[in-house]
Amino acid sequence: MSPRLRLAVLGVALLALVPGAAATIAHLPDFGATIAAYGERINAIAPGERHVANMVSAINFDLRGLDTLGEEFMLLAAITGTVVLLRGRRGETLTDRAMRLPGRAILPRSEAVQLTCRLAGPLLMMFGLYVVLHATVTPGGGFQGGVILASGTLLAYLGEGYGGWRDMVRSHWLDAMEGGGAVLFTVCGLAPMLTGAAFMQNVLPLGTFRDVFSGGLMLVENAGVALAVCGGFTQLFLEFLEETREADGPEEPGEDSA
Amino acid sequence: MSAILILLFLLTAASGTAVVLIRDPARQIFALAGNGVVLTILFTALQAPDVALSELAVGGAAVPLLFLVALMAVRTGRRDEEHEG
Repeated sequence: MSPRLRLAVLGVALLALVPGAAATIAHLPDFGATIAAYGERINAIAPGERHVANMVSAINFDLRGLDTLGEEFMLLAAITGTVVLLRGRRGETLTDRAMRLPGRAILPRSEAVQLTCRLAGPLLMMFGLYVVLHATVTPGGGFQGGVILASGTLLAYLGEGYGGWRDMVRSHWLDAMEGGGAVLFTVCGLAPMLTGAAFMQNVLPLGTFRDVFSGGLMLVENAGVALAVCGGFTQLFLEFLEETREADGPEEPGEDSA
Repeated sequence: MSAILILLFLLTAASGTAVVLIRDPARQIFALAGNGVVLTILFTALQAPDVALSELAVGGAAVPLLFLVALMAVRTGRRDEEHEG
């Protein structure tokens, strides 16, 4: 496509889109205006109907739970695609041993880094679990908590090196977490139908308002999301690292590597 | 709009521009993490704690760490015999 043709296409597209965009932008609520009617309605209804204090979780896992189910499978598809792309000709043969490229230097960790990671890692994991468990009470939830948990495993990599990290993290477990989380969420949608309720209807006891175990089915869905996100992010990280270790010849398992 | 919001918007613009202008990948990752932290503070100031937490976990920690480790792995691959990095 020549530059002139591109400019012409751009001009036509702008002519078609700018009036619509301008009209929409002009009708947006002012910055800092009071929250929209939908938000006010949710704030009024959700505590009584669902017994949860965090409205965002109420929307994500209950009122618009179907959307989150879609996002869950988007995540699954994205991670699967990335893993397939990264594995390339390494194929499906997996090993739980850390791969080592012959001739690559083993980077020693300084004691300060090791100590910091050993102290901060478990604390970060605990905070991640806290964020996951308190999804219906405080801001946060399965996604945020899952990412924090995955970051916690990254600290183990920073402190212990690749070999130590691979001793802790098993690739098949990550696959199981990623897929199992998505399955758990789907089952949460289908299981209520067995009792005669609607898809993803909140049939479990709702618990007490402001209690950790409030929200009924939301807690199970939240756990599914946390599993999938934590497994998915760690799997992504593992495949990135394995990719950089792809040897030209047949790979040989080694003790430790950068 | 309060003064702190104006300040945060300016910081967001500045840190975002910095990510584009810094050409050295290792420094760029830290600029990206800085941008994530600024966005986190902005979202908190706009009273969206859930989004802020996501931004902090993804934009401030997970993505920069992923980039940093990938970059480190690529570099150690390039200079094979050196025991540094």
